[in-house]
Amino acid sequence: MAGLKTIIVLSFILAIGFLLVILSAALYKNFLTLLVVATYVIAPIPNWLCGRASSQDDFMDSGSSSIVELGRFMTGFLAVMGVALPVVLAHCDLIRPEAMVMSIVGGLLIYGTIISFTMFFHQEEEF
Amino acid sequence: MADSSGHRLFKFPKPQWMTSANTRNAGVYAAGALFSIALFVFIDAATFSKSNLNGSEFHVNFVDWIPGIFSVLGMLIINSIDKSRLSADNFSYSGDGVAWKARVVLFMGFAAMAGGLAGSVTVCLLKYVVREASWPALWFGVANIASNALIMLSSVVLWVSQNMEDDYTYNLAL
Repeated sequence: MAGLKTIIVLSFILAIGFLLVILSAALYKNFLTLLVVATYVIAPIPNWLCGRASSQDDFMDSGSSSIVELGRFMTGFLAVMGVALPVVLAHCDLIRPEAMVMSIVGGLLIYGTIISFTMFFHQEEEF
Repeated sequence: MADSSGHRLFKFPKPQWMTSANTRNAGVYAAGALFSIALFVFIDAATFSKSNLNGSEFHVNFVDWIPGIFSVLGMLIINSIDKSRLSADNFSYSGDGVAWKARVVLFMGFAAMAGGLAGSVTVCLLKYVVREASWPALWFGVANIASNALIMLSSVVLWVSQNMEDDYTYNLAL
């Protein structure tokens, strides 16, 4: 149940996540790590879009249609891209390893809070 | 795995988690994750080749991309086919000629994907191993093979998870 405390804690964690990613870019004066934020913000979008595209007025769930599965595929792709992209950049010496670690942790925090928020709002609707 | 009268091929009963909808969704997410890993392994090789860490004389150019393109095309073809079209006889829902066409298209998809994997092994051998590349230049060839193998694995996971039957879905077959 999403009480006020939960929302505050989630927002705090989101802010820490953003702070980590922005620091990872600003401390080393290399703004490539901001791509991670963009990736994690875009990541839930295919899932949400394709969830809306499936027919809403089916009373009983007739199984996932292909468009919903395509959305899930792309969301999984983008979520792993948020981790893989800093690893590639650090391996090729385009960003520092510390920046990679900070941006991965910050990105995962941001993504985790986005997922938690959508889960909490989903449950609220059932009442 | 089971004929129409419900008798399974194997002695062991089908595990409970294999038919749930959550496993199916997890499979689709996992397939997306594997595809992303495949793509970024190859992008890592290409970026490393262009970066200033690459002191050797080997570089990743368009030839290295060709097996990957074939693998992705094969994956697209394989996973775009409606599976119910594959199994058909003359009087069923899928009709007469559709099953044969579906099988031909599926074969071409598999051929493209296997060709991609074989091509990546070829490129690695001919371009890097024969010319005696050492590490880390050898990574360009190994990454190509790993990337194509992961694309194939992603396609397999996606195919298997889309074929899982959910106990609560109704297949409207005429």
